[in-house]
Amino acid sequence: MMRRSLLVGAFLSLVALVAAPPAARAQDAASFINNLGVQAIQVLGPSVPQATRLARFRELFSDDFDLRGISQFVLGPYWRSANPQQQQEFLRLFHEYISETYATRLAQYAGEPFRVTGTRQENGDTVVTSQIIRRGGSPVQVDWHLTGGPGSWRITDAYVAGVSMRVTQRDEFLSIISRNGGRLDGLLAMLRQRVAAR
Amino acid sequence: MILRPSLPGISGLLLALTLVLGGCAGPRAPGPQEASAAPENFNDPYENTNRAVFRFNQNVTDHVLIPVAKTYKNVVPPPIRQNLHDFLQNLNGPVIFANDLLQGQVHLAGNTMARFLFNTTIGMGGLIDVATRLGIPYHDNDFGVTLAVWGVPDGPYIVIPVLGPSNPRDITGMVADGFADPANIAAGDRLYIPIARSVAQGTDALSRNYASLEDLEKTSLDYYATIRSIYRQRREAQIQHQGTNLPNPDIFSGGGGGGDESLPAIQYTMPETPKPPEAPPK
Repeated sequence: MMRRSLLVGAFLSLVALVAAPPAARAQDAASFINNLGVQAIQVLGPSVPQATRLARFRELFSDDFDLRGISQFVLGPYWRSANPQQQQEFLRLFHEYISETYATRLAQYAGEPFRVTGTRQENGDTVVTSQIIRRGGSPVQVDWHLTGGPGSWRITDAYVAGVSMRVTQRDEFLSIISRNGGRLDGLLAMLRQRVAAR
Repeated sequence: MILRPSLPGISGLLLALTLVLGGCAGPRAPGPQEASAAPENFNDPYENTNRAVFRFNQNVTDHVLIPVAKTYKNVVPPPIRQNLHDFLQNLNGPVIFANDLLQGQVHLAGNTMARFLFNTTIGMGGLIDVATRLGIPYHDNDFGVTLAVWGVPDGPYIVIPVLGPSNPRDITGMVADGFADPANIAAGDRLYIPIARSVAQGTDALSRNYASLEDLEKTSLDYYATIRSIYRQRREAQIQHQGTNLPNPDIFSGGGGGGDESLPAIQYTMPETPKPPEAPPK
């Protein structure tokens, strides 16, 4: 009897474990972003080792961002002209590069409150607006552009103080490619070197 | 590259530069979002010169401006730095007011006027930003934005020695604002006054933002291209945001980086938000 209820208990908690994540993810866009903020803030600050922060950002980018869509956007016309191996390599390098980049750029925002301020629809996208309240500074407005729906939200872009992160990334990458005579290989080489250096 | 100057001293030089470069500004350049659609068109015909000036500016920033800003931050206690920041920001009031009016933004002009009156009197000459505490937040404005609102094209990207990213429209705006500024006019021949003000503004801005800038530089593969993109997008957002209840973006500008904008958490709608194009061009 005892043993049986233990088994049932174990089974039930297993069910709860399996069922919980989808249930938790079936949420509106605002709570999705709020959640993301809470998770990101936990690994910011000087007390968290950079390696830990980087590992968490890798997960956040692959779980919560439309990495493939962003990759295609930032390469512009060069995505289509790239061969499948180049595309695969770019996806891998880009994932690593933006994880490192944002783990570094956001590290100093430790302990600064992040709050979701609203949601709006824009050209079929769901946009969640938020603010980071900086100590001794004005609040930074961050607008998150989302695709998908409850349970499958993916971030396609973030506007920080009116500046689109993916447009900025695209302008940088396209500048590098055009300065390498329009060859994607030049950018791939730079990314390889940067990712290996860390 | 942070300085937001208001000195007539170098204005003559800049005006000449503006006239020369403005003359070859060419047709209306697309906004930054549209510009990004055409990958190799960064509207940067002087890129080689700009990159050289940019490298020079980086050296000046790394070896002079940032060390000065760090020392200032380490030596001067936070309340005094806040007072200086509020004072410098209040000094910009009249020029912001004029530009609010020139853009037909009567409500914004009213805010600027009220802020200036409160801060100059109760705020002891602007040392304390009482207006923000009374619920009238700061917003930035300048003649570059006014020109854009009037339909003047930005022209090619130009990196100015020490001052950083600009274009003929913004250079013209900066010079006009510098000449129109009552504090500069009052200073008359004493050029050291506007120069000191510009240096103070730049130091104040950099002391708040150098860590972000250093991280941005460290993580960029092409820092020049990154700054060019951010500058354009930020200016475009400032132009779009005029007359809305959106905060002005001010991550890199000296004007608004204050600890004094307490914007309410409101849900807003933005008319015609610029949106990056979805489909890459062929």
